[in-house]
Amino acid sequence: MSNIKVIACSGIGKAMGLMAREAALQVTGKISPDTTETVCLAYVVSGDEEGAKKVEGCTCITIDGCPAMCAAKSVEHAGGIVKAKYRVIDEMRNHKGVDAGTGTALTEDGWKIVDELAGKISEKAAELTKEGQSNG
Amino acid sequence: MNKGYAVLPCNGLDKCAGCVSKEIAIMLSENSESEIICPVLFHTSDARYNKIAQEKPLLVIDGCATRCASKLAAEKNLKITEKINITEEAKANQITLGKGLQVGEEEMRLAKIIFDKLTHVQEDAKTEDTIAFPASLTYEVYKKDKFVFRLPKEERFYFNENDVWAYVVGNKARIGVTDFVQKSLSDIMFFTPPAIGNQMEQFEDAGNIESAKAVFEIISPVSGTILAINEKLMEAPELINQNPYEQGWIAEMELSDFENDKELLHTFDGYFEVLKRKVDEFHVKH
Amino acid sequence: MDEKQVGVLSCSGEECLGGTIARLATRKVMEVLRPDNVVTLCLPLYIAGGDEERDFAKEYPVIAVDACDKCCAKRATIKYSGAVKDSLVLSDILGEDAVLSKIVSARDLKEEHYKMVDKAAEEICKKVDKILTD
Repeated sequence: MSNIKVIACSGIGKAMGLMAREAALQVTGKISPDTTETVCLAYVVSGDEEGAKKVEGCTCITIDGCPAMCAAKSVEHAGGIVKAKYRVIDEMRNHKGVDAGTGTALTEDGWKIVDELAGKISEKAAELTKEGQSNG
Repeated sequence: MNKGYAVLPCNGLDKCAGCVSKEIAIMLSENSESEIICPVLFHTSDARYNKIAQEKPLLVIDGCATRCASKLAAEKNLKITEKINITEEAKANQITLGKGLQVGEEEMRLAKIIFDKLTHVQEDAKTEDTIAFPASLTYEVYKKDKFVFRLPKEERFYFNENDVWAYVVGNKARIGVTDFVQKSLSDIMFFTPPAIGNQMEQFEDAGNIESAKAVFEIISPVSGTILAINEKLMEAPELINQNPYEQGWIAEMELSDFENDKELLHTFDGYFEVLKRKVDEFHVKH
Repeated sequence: MDEKQVGVLSCSGEECLGGTIARLATRKVMEVLRPDNVVTLCLPLYIAGGDEERDFAKEYPVIAVDACDKCCAKRATIKYSGAVKDSLVLSDILGEDAVLSKIVSARDLKEEHYKMVDKAAEEICKKVDKILTD
């Protein structure tokens, strides 16, 4: 079974875009490097056949910063099978009053939220990997 | 979602009416979103109940003419939305309260009648279709950088300097915030609504909205009573970002003094200039 | 006085270091170096249908900043808004080896990375200034 694709929006304008990006890097680079990988969202939808192949028919997890849901929409449009959609804004709603930082740099609190989210996503990825293995 | 009451019962222990008052408070807390304020604790230390008293409409239940619960509410400067007097209700429903302190069949019947009346009032407030709002609006836009600020041109819109609008139909109004607010805040994550039943003066707080950047107090453009809130915002406050004039409306009110209130409000022409000035000064940048 | 505005549409490619550098350089230009004249456009939103981003790019000059020669930002600008005023590929400025090396989390950036950000930001500013004076 191929790796689970974890794709973030990486929106440049908001802290939540940076948090989505960092959560994806945390999952694919540190927590679950053997079973997950990330891909460039923009390349996937660029129109290049090679780009689309990276997600087409693959099990994907998307991480969006805000309710615009750019990663989820674009990955689905490119033919990815999005099994879980995460939004950083939903994590932020569990941390009322916290200053997470800016689109350039996160605060310590921002990083904590990233780590929490990355933990949840990794668990989900493990669940999906197991499902994939038992389905052959 | 029914927001329920903040219930302040008299809890009088020397009369049956006091016991019925407590019974109704328990029924409300168990069968609706209501929360009980313990009058004894509230009298000595009110910190614990301040939040409930602010967020929910206050229901005071007095057992008798001594009106201890009403007096306590007045002492704590609370706005009373609804008042019940058990002795008076018993008379009105031709129910004789027992001389003892046990809550018997007749007392429970009275409690049920009052409970039904109270929960029926809340349902009416929630579901009544109060405002005939247009299916779509016509907007003027002001652009700054890549950001577009819309303002509805319809005649019935009025605006205060605090960037809150009211759409007025007869003696009712729907209120919400303008594009300037939702763009300045960016992604709105929390919505604290005004309590249904709350009576407010023009320019009083009507709840707030919060993003990662700031908390915005919604300053009511009109005086009146809150009839309904946009309950979709409780789960999806981002609707305000999507369109603060249509799906992102905040609350509906019954107006009490619009003829005077409107003297201090802008129509489209006046507020559009205010909006442009604020946008130019603020220069929204992520 | 008419304030000239230039849009910068940057990739944030997650598969290589260049994506991080492009993103940080663009934000530096917007926040610090040219705050009155530069507007950043969000590439994922642009691609997914963001009207504000696309309309801005139709009306104002846009510089596309890409990490590698796949040029996703440039291609998206041309596809959705017709033309790109100027563009920049970081692998041309910083070297392919550096830009295409393994991505680094913002937590793990070192001084050498910030120097790359500064160099990239400087190049973006040159392009911005050229547009503003034309």
